[in-house]
Amino acid sequence: MYDLDLFEHTDTVNELLARYGVKFGVYKNNVFKEQLFPFDAIPRVIEKQEFDWLERGLKQRVVALNLFLKDIYGEKKIIRDKVVPEEFVYASSGYLAQCEGVRPVKDIYSHISGIDLVQGKNKEWYVLEDNLRVPSGASYPMIARELCRRSSPRTFQNYKLEDNRNYADLLRRTMDNVNVGGHTVILTPGRYNAAYFEHSYLAERTGVHLVNGRELTVEDDKLYFVDYSGKKERVGAVYRRISDEYLDPMNFNPESVIGIPHIYDIYRKGNVALLNAPGNGIADDKGIYYFVPKMVKYYLGEEPILQNAPTYLPFYEEDMRYVLEHFDSLVLKDVAEAGGYGVVFGSSMTAKQKEDFIALLKKEPRRFIAQEVIDFLDIDIMEKGEMVPRKADLRAFVLMADEPLVWKSGLTRFSRNPDSFIVNSSQGGGFKDTWVLSR
Amino acid sequence: MGIISLEQTDGLYWLGRYSERVYTTIRLYSRSYDRMLDENAGGYEEFCRDLDIPNIYQSSEDFKTRYPFDKEDPNSIMSNLLRAYDNAIVLRETIGSETLSYIQLAIYEMNKAEKSQAPLIEMQKVMDNILAFWGIADDIMEDENSRNIIKVGKRVERIDLYGRLHQPRENLVREVSRLAGRIGRCNIHYNESVILNLLELVQAPELDYYSIVYEIERIL
Repeated sequence: MYDLDLFEHTDTVNELLARYGVKFGVYKNNVFKEQLFPFDAIPRVIEKQEFDWLERGLKQRVVALNLFLKDIYGEKKIIRDKVVPEEFVYASSGYLAQCEGVRPVKDIYSHISGIDLVQGKNKEWYVLEDNLRVPSGASYPMIARELCRRSSPRTFQNYKLEDNRNYADLLRRTMDNVNVGGHTVILTPGRYNAAYFEHSYLAERTGVHLVNGRELTVEDDKLYFVDYSGKKERVGAVYRRISDEYLDPMNFNPESVIGIPHIYDIYRKGNVALLNAPGNGIADDKGIYYFVPKMVKYYLGEEPILQNAPTYLPFYEEDMRYVLEHFDSLVLKDVAEAGGYGVVFGSSMTAKQKEDFIALLKKEPRRFIAQEVIDFLDIDIMEKGEMVPRKADLRAFVLMADEPLVWKSGLTRFSRNPDSFIVNSSQGGGFKDTWVLSR
Repeated sequence: MGIISLEQTDGLYWLGRYSERVYTTIRLYSRSYDRMLDENAGGYEEFCRDLDIPNIYQSSEDFKTRYPFDKEDPNSIMSNLLRAYDNAIVLRETIGSETLSYIQLAIYEMNKAEKSQAPLIEMQKVMDNILAFWGIADDIMEDENSRNIIKVGKRVERIDLYGRLHQPRENLVREVSRLAGRIGRCNIHYNESVILNLLELVQAPELDYYSIVYEIERIL
């Protein structure tokens, strides 16, 4: 399967990625620094049949999650029917009371979903988490493919792959589907955001404006882009890359200086589309994750195609017992954390750390989930001219346009540390392209 | 895309100015560097005076390394290049990744120059990248208004530098004429009387460089 011609060009591709400013920002000791995102040319390869199956599972999952969001901020049948305990909804930091009764355009809540999966050594795929707020990462394999094709044309003559450079078209179709009239824009917090490269690259590729909060204004219940001369043009859809709390200081965090006052008010009236909808955090809460397979059954009456990693909620007495008995073999996650932070392995704790953690767990059982450590299927990376195995995950992207669309690629992130399961870029991970074979 | 915001306009204008500042100051620095090799070790003092920048340098050797590469010195070539980058990076969707890449490449070459025994060779590549940046901006940027704003920034900076450096009349006549032809073609508010004054100043029997610099600085 491996084609050495492409691998020989890893350095060339990395140089090109640097040339095009493919970076992410990190803050260390309150200092902002742009870092290159190391690329490994050995792709993750997914065969057509396998991806077809994944695609069905991903669509099913995201459709169910959208129905969950509509239900939670609407009728709440899933709570009344005791499928999801209300404690897990209302205690979640992702639940926003301001979203109660608000229906987004076409009832689409999660327009762009990033579903993180891992493949076990048994070749089974497991969903590790759902990202329904502002998932990032699609731009990296998209531009890497472009540069790999340039560096190693022979490779791409030999393999028949799905072309992943269509992500911008899928995204544009998704944005246009809900645009209520006027321009479509991507709203960025600014260049010091970790994912700023992605914001600007997607704006370029989709042909929409990249704006910050100062360039938009709400007047007469409509949203406008203000040009250099003060002239205003209406905006009908905002792909916002800022989190809920900073979106609108009049409705969320009053200290936000990067949001747009009253944008949420006009969103509520249907005068602008926001992608993704505010309030989605409730559906990608690590505690709610446990219930997603149940949601699939509840809303769709279908067996879930994709399975979760075996997960326990210490909130339930039975699960707490299991967690305490099998502590050393589990990974524990703080539901409020993201980006690979707040993840601890029972096996790596000292006796004192374990004792302290268990005390915290008993005190705040809702705050944590525990999962079996999946024995990841290692994938190869090139390091100093040699192939070495590393842990990797896959972020798949599902877009809800006029129909659910699964991007036939994904961001494969890997750990550069041989002893680590943490693949996040902010913690030193690298990335690969994800090839989906077209036949 | 059609419309651009005030911040984008500002970014485009300063991208034009900083890219020009880098290009012209490298050319000037190259000449001074050459002279300082064996002719005029104190030439850097004159250089600072001409450019109206503080002479913070201890010696010609200090000047040779700090003026081009010191990121902490706001007047250094590197600082100006980084300011060009700061403006370019927030304009990717307007200028395009390809255009932006030449500013990024210029930074890489500048970093190489800092480590080189023969920095002028690497700095030539910085200039090549700036030239490529201007060329590709002109070639691939669809929005004429945005292209024109970059060019206006570039011309304004060039007139400013030429005025400070007491460049020959024909250079100033050419640049003022180019600016006069360009500035009306982009939708930015500018001080029209400045253009008229500059056109007069560059034709005056005695060139008043001070007034030229004064006028160009109040164009926007």
